[in-house]
Amino acid sequence: MNSMFGKMFGWFNSRLPIVNTFERHLSKHPVPSKVNFWYLFGALASVVLIIQIVSGIWLIMPYSNTEEQAFSSIEYIMRDVDYGWVIRYMHTTGASMFFAVVYLHMFRGLLYGSYQKPKELVWVFGCAIYLAMMAEGFLGYVLPYGQMSYWGAQVIISLFGAIPYIGESLELWVRGDYYISGITVSRFFALHVVALPLVLIALVFLHLVALHEVGAGNPEGVDIEAHLDEDGVPLDSVPFFPYKVLNALVGIGVFMTVFAIIMFFFPEGGGYFIEMANFEEANPLVTPEHIAPVWYYSPYYAMLRAVPDKLGGLIVMGSAVAILFVVPWLDNSKAASIRYKGVYSKVAIALFGISFLTLGYLGTVGVTEVRKTMSVICTVIYFAFFILMPVYTKYEITKKVPERL
Amino acid sequence: MNQKNIMNIKIIKFFTFFSLVFSINYLYSAEGGPCKDYGECDKFKYSLNDMESLQRGASTFLNYCYGCHSLQYSRWGRVAKDLQIPEDIFFDNLIFDKSIKAGDLMTGAMVDEESAQWFGVAPPDLTLVSRVRGDDWLYSYLRTYYEDSSKQYGVNNLVYPGTAMPNVLAALQGNQKLICKNIPILASNGGEKRDDLGNTLTKEKCGFLEVEKGTGTLTKDEFNNVIYDLTNFLVYVGEPAKATRERIGWYVIFYFLIFTALSALLYREYHKDYH
Repeated sequence: MNSMFGKMFGWFNSRLPIVNTFERHLSKHPVPSKVNFWYLFGALASVVLIIQIVSGIWLIMPYSNTEEQAFSSIEYIMRDVDYGWVIRYMHTTGASMFFAVVYLHMFRGLLYGSYQKPKELVWVFGCAIYLAMMAEGFLGYVLPYGQMSYWGAQVIISLFGAIPYIGESLELWVRGDYYISGITVSRFFALHVVALPLVLIALVFLHLVALHEVGAGNPEGVDIEAHLDEDGVPLDSVPFFPYKVLNALVGIGVFMTVFAIIMFFFPEGGGYFIEMANFEEANPLVTPEHIAPVWYYSPYYAMLRAVPDKLGGLIVMGSAVAILFVVPWLDNSKAASIRYKGVYSKVAIALFGISFLTLGYLGTVGVTEVRKTMSVICTVIYFAFFILMPVYTKYEITKKVPERL
Repeated sequence: MNQKNIMNIKIIKFFTFFSLVFSINYLYSAEGGPCKDYGECDKFKYSLNDMESLQRGASTFLNYCYGCHSLQYSRWGRVAKDLQIPEDIFFDNLIFDKSIKAGDLMTGAMVDEESAQWFGVAPPDLTLVSRVRGDDWLYSYLRTYYEDSSKQYGVNNLVYPGTAMPNVLAALQGNQKLICKNIPILASNGGEKRDDLGNTLTKEKCGFLEVEKGTGTLTKDEFNNVIYDLTNFLVYVGEPAKATRERIGWYVIFYFLIFTALSALLYREYHKDYH
């Protein structure tokens, strides 16, 4: 390192912790030596985040955030901008894939107790990311200003109106107008491309810093920090580079293949990724026959509809997300991983998974009596999973967690 | 992990999968047919590489539909280029307004306010109709007009009951009517029911479409082909990059498969270090 470059690098490194930070967070960072595919979704989520940011920047260039041109500027991107359709489909597919990998990532957390001491903050930051993503996705869906953008926004914004006393003023404040209009579109645009991405990036940063402070988990729920070598590195760990990177690379390859299949062959995702009604420009005078959110919100939409009262529905929907934040303090189990937890936990998580997926389906279809009853049952199971967690994790018989991985 | 534990997980997984499939099937059965009175839509498979079909479709559209329906996000020159129609032929034969330039949008000729008075609603722009309604719906809709004297233009539609659009293609198709037929009664085993003498038992069923003999300049098959080409063209106009997208897609997938294979091989080499 005697070269010109070496000297320059040394100058910077003595003033900025380049090597230390790089080694701590990327190259030498120890990760458990034995994990399974469930541990890939975090890396995949960061890949999608980058895809969304890059494609988003390129979409902003030709997009027009006015009431008159929002819809036609999307068609302009799809037709007149060179490879504009690639950028746009990358962004729409990316939105759905972002939620897909994040849902799997969160489910991994529930399966293997990735929120247990000392990883509580990692989980809490993760939940905050999820919340920010939900807002980001909603705001983004309004921007093409199609029928579903308009009516979806109408439904969601009107929820604010259900809040007692301040509801109506709040609704007006969010919308910026007495009905959804160009003013709503342009403010949502500002929030979607500047405010929330900043929040998201800050939260992702905190999520990772907190994770690297306490160390990543593993499917056995073994505390690898308990057995260290003479350098203080866990015995059951390997350095992030190249081992974890290569592992992630295989995952990224498979994931990107799936991504490409959707993006190039099924960009509308059968009407679940881009809804058919959204190819029609927003029309305040015509309500679509059937208003359904995009698939990633549909479980909550089903919960909202399961409650007859609007305010009650709003509270249930809000609580469904809020309850995720306190999971670290609900689990009393001695074991972290589902592999060593007792039968109650296994049945509980299976029922939870089924009811969440069923709610997801119910949120995309019209309401009938049977479906409404199903929604109520599934909503009850969803909450019971969390509310009863302190009880069933305390009284079940767990297996002994091994010492080493 | 011991054997029993693996078994437990397998049982849970099976249970999850089974109940999911069961509940979704059960719930889905409550949905009605997407093509209304026609029931299930006829299936349509686009062929965007069939230039002749697209060219015929464009010609039908510009001759029969474009008088009322615009394609406001599409440009004349792009259609000519994508459909491989030489621009001079395209301009001489398919563009009736001589002031139009290749870069112009196909904004139509009818004034919305006036047409709303004539038809009750202004004829919608059709650039994205195939994406809003779906290909199957369009292909079925255009073929299921029938005579109904109670309507403003003497016709109604099975797929879109009460449609405001007259049957513009009636001269090609002929006068299609809704008729009733005697059809065999099926027994529970799937065979035809017969009386004691061996004659097939029948019942009257209505709702069949039939074109009056001697009307229309095209046969049923020829007319179906015209609609096929027209729908194919509308699928193209809905997303002009679609054919390119599906072509490039294969290369991208191929690239990522190679990428996955190489990184898997590399991972396997490094994995030996600690196992």
